[in-house]
Amino acid sequence: MSNQSQLRTRREFLRSTVLGGALSWTVPAFLANTIATLQANAADSLVQPVTGKDGNILVVLQMAGGNDGLNTVVPHGNDYYHNARPKLGLKADDLLKLNDELALHRSLTGFKELFDKGELGIVQGVGYPNPNRSHFRSTEIWQTAVDSQRIEAHGWLGRFFDNTCSGCDPTVAVNIGRQMPQAFAAAQPLGVSLETPQNYRFISADRPEGGHMSTEESYRRLNEPESEMSENAGGTISAIGGAATHPGGALDFLERVAMDAQVSSDKIRGIASRTEVQGNYPASQLGNALKLVAKLIGGGLSTRVFYVSQGGYDTHTNQSAAHERLLKDLGNSVQAFVSDMKEQGNLSRVLVMTFSEFGRRVAENASGGTDHGAAAPMFLAGNRIKSGLLGRYPSLAPKDLLQGDLGYTVDFRSVYAGVLENWLKTPSAPILGRSFPLLSPV
Amino acid sequence: MLAPLPETRWNFQTVAHLLNRAGFGGPPAQIERLLEWGPERSVAWLVDYESTADPTPDPEWAKPDPERAERLREMREASEEDRRKLVRQNQQEERQHLMLLRHWWLERMSTGPRPFQEKMVLFWHGHFATSAEKVRDAYLMWRQNELFRRMALGNWTDLLLEVARDPAMLIWLDQAQSRKEHPNENFARELMELFALGEGHYSEQDVTEGARALTGWSFDRPTRRFVYRGLQHDPGPKTIFGRTGTFDGRNFVEMVASHPQSAPFITSKIWNFFAGERPSRVVSEELVAEFQRAQGEFKPLLRSIFLCEDFYNPTLIRNQVKSPVQWLVGSVRMLERDLPPALVCFSLTRSLGQDLFAPPNVKGWDGGLSWITTNNLLARYNEAATLVQGDPAPAAGAQLVSNPGANSLLERRLRNARTGGIEVTKLFTDSERSDRAALLAAIERRLLQDQLKPKQRQTLLEFLAARSVLDDRTIRDAVRLVMSTPEYQLA
Repeated sequence: MSNQSQLRTRREFLRSTVLGGALSWTVPAFLANTIATLQANAADSLVQPVTGKDGNILVVLQMAGGNDGLNTVVPHGNDYYHNARPKLGLKADDLLKLNDELALHRSLTGFKELFDKGELGIVQGVGYPNPNRSHFRSTEIWQTAVDSQRIEAHGWLGRFFDNTCSGCDPTVAVNIGRQMPQAFAAAQPLGVSLETPQNYRFISADRPEGGHMSTEESYRRLNEPESEMSENAGGTISAIGGAATHPGGALDFLERVAMDAQVSSDKIRGIASRTEVQGNYPASQLGNALKLVAKLIGGGLSTRVFYVSQGGYDTHTNQSAAHERLLKDLGNSVQAFVSDMKEQGNLSRVLVMTFSEFGRRVAENASGGTDHGAAAPMFLAGNRIKSGLLGRYPSLAPKDLLQGDLGYTVDFRSVYAGVLENWLKTPSAPILGRSFPLLSPV
Repeated sequence: MLAPLPETRWNFQTVAHLLNRAGFGGPPAQIERLLEWGPERSVAWLVDYESTADPTPDPEWAKPDPERAERLREMREASEEDRRKLVRQNQQEERQHLMLLRHWWLERMSTGPRPFQEKMVLFWHGHFATSAEKVRDAYLMWRQNELFRRMALGNWTDLLLEVARDPAMLIWLDQAQSRKEHPNENFARELMELFALGEGHYSEQDVTEGARALTGWSFDRPTRRFVYRGLQHDPGPKTIFGRTGTFDGRNFVEMVASHPQSAPFITSKIWNFFAGERPSRVVSEELVAEFQRAQGEFKPLLRSIFLCEDFYNPTLIRNQVKSPVQWLVGSVRMLERDLPPALVCFSLTRSLGQDLFAPPNVKGWDGGLSWITTNNLLARYNEAATLVQGDPAPAAGAQLVSNPGANSLLERRLRNARTGGIEVTKLFTDSERSDRAALLAAIERRLLQDQLKPKQRQTLLEFLAARSVLDDRTIRDAVRLVMSTPEYQLA
């Protein structure tokens, strides 16, 4: 076989297999190799090379802006709460009661239903020592999972990937949104960020006469490995030594990423266009994001971590209506997603975990809102999880507050550690820098 | 002494390498001019930039604000409702100014007469990585930028002293909040760990005692200037690097600057930035010797780097991943086009992964291969269309504000922003525009100063052959395709 025809065959193989039949796509040699690396490195080989059907999946949901935990999981029987919040305090008869002390905001019907079915866990009073009240800094602390005085460039999920699957398929981590979250920042960055599958591709406005050798066709050819030899060189990628160097040089590295981009773009767009989901998602950014995640999981993308976000929680003024809308969107979106996972038979391998960079002050402000605070709850959703109330609600007694804020009862890194150890099946200390008491999600 | 580059190796590729690394690249005509000048004169043109006039005016909005104290007082006295409104207004204004500031600097890099000075400013910005996300004051970010420009090739100790008293830095690393009773250790730590020595070359005691020495150095909000608050200074004895004395801030910074690890640390980092990899032990020793001979002045060091043979080692040439800023500015220079409007530039660099004045953290940008992910690479390929074809920025643009969902106004403005494409007739001669092989060679020479691989050339020739005429649109498509290769991401 001449070199030229070999290349052509290989290219056609790539295209037809990637875009072609439903679940029967096969990955190119060096990608299969990388997935094998992942498989070998992951503690229990959770990801299957072809469909990823058996791997546990983590969906991180960021509630950006600082969610008012007190009006989310409401201590309705607590006088301190009502004293601190004469205007914003929510009354027992207007809430979804969990027990005699706590209730969910009335718009969280979606969460209440999950809670009653044992599919929702509420981790109470999550925070960290020496809390920072800047959105920027506190988000960074949650994303990098280091002590609040320390600066760390790489994210906790990025370090997870650095530790477990150097050189593996970029779709092992998928962010729905435009900007990669810092949680994914890594020495060897992985992950795909997309808002809609249609934008994650080489975009060209080809003329109809383009036909043969369109701009897109040319782009594909320009970005394919030169020869079988350089493809084999791709086999060494698991040996990348760090961000600064690559055994084959920068060009070799770029060629690999260019190929990854092409393959993952075809794969994601293929899956998204042929996978249908049933869930009743709100027509919101979060609803659309979780719907896309449901499609990608249903279509068999071998992703271990998805990341979605919902903004708008920075409720300094006229909080009531805005917060109600946000929580309704949150509860209904997650509920729709959980029902799709159930429908697909995937719920047992999916864990949704929410976080927000901080909670809000115990006392309301004079503008019908709340200012930046500290500890707040996290939510876990799934059917193999520990459901119900986890941890301990922080004390609202004025003497226990720290500069007007709730003290944390659970360090968020305990939750991360539990997720890493018991869900992603990976030792947590190398990733989090030290051991934290595990708050296991399962 | 580092061995000088032999005259025989002064050619189109090595000149392009110098222009790419010491500046942001340039069109073939500029490479030819430097080729004619020879190494000494070319490097002198870059390094002795004071002899080139730079008439760039200050940004129109960047002025001291004499009424600021009054406004702050009004804000304090306003009702809570009004105060929030004022704060919001102020934030909007800051965001707008920051966008203009980014554009002002990119313009300076793209069309200014002193590319090397701007490249040094970019180095110092990444080194003393300060973010407007925390400083929240575009005027102070501009002042810091001007500090880097003024001191770009100055003295190391002077630079560290100025940076330590720079208002944006005082806010960024919390020195503004440091008090005698509670010294804030942030600046003292990063000064040693990230700015001057590196981990492992100082103790926790040095951090604590250094922070005590720095107490009193603070920031005066109403005037937005450095202020020394004598009452906040801890005058007691401190032990730093094993020496004991009643050190103050200046003593501490000078002790760090003259620490034996300081010269190897900063010269290696500079070599790494310009050459694209860590220096060998031999080169590193030479750099330190050169730096010490020059008594901590950067200009002689940089001149030696750009004239030495090691800097032109064939393994270094075209082996550095362009930063997003380098990618944008270099493309603008090589395509001899205007810099796109401010909003387009902001969206473009952000979708490629670099926000000027907002490095991800105090460590600055990781750089190198970490610029490249599947996303960022596709963004480069798609933003190439923005620059070449002048299409509205593709929908794959970056999130423009950090709050998801608060994008719509900027997005609408972005969709309406017009970038304008390249002028094909300006870039390519008549004969290049009438011959496919000549055209491809001209594009390669302009964008890569090198040839693509045979298979890629074949693809592009087939692409051109499939078009009935070499019209402007086809030529633009071809330029965009060459920019959509792994090769173009390197300089």
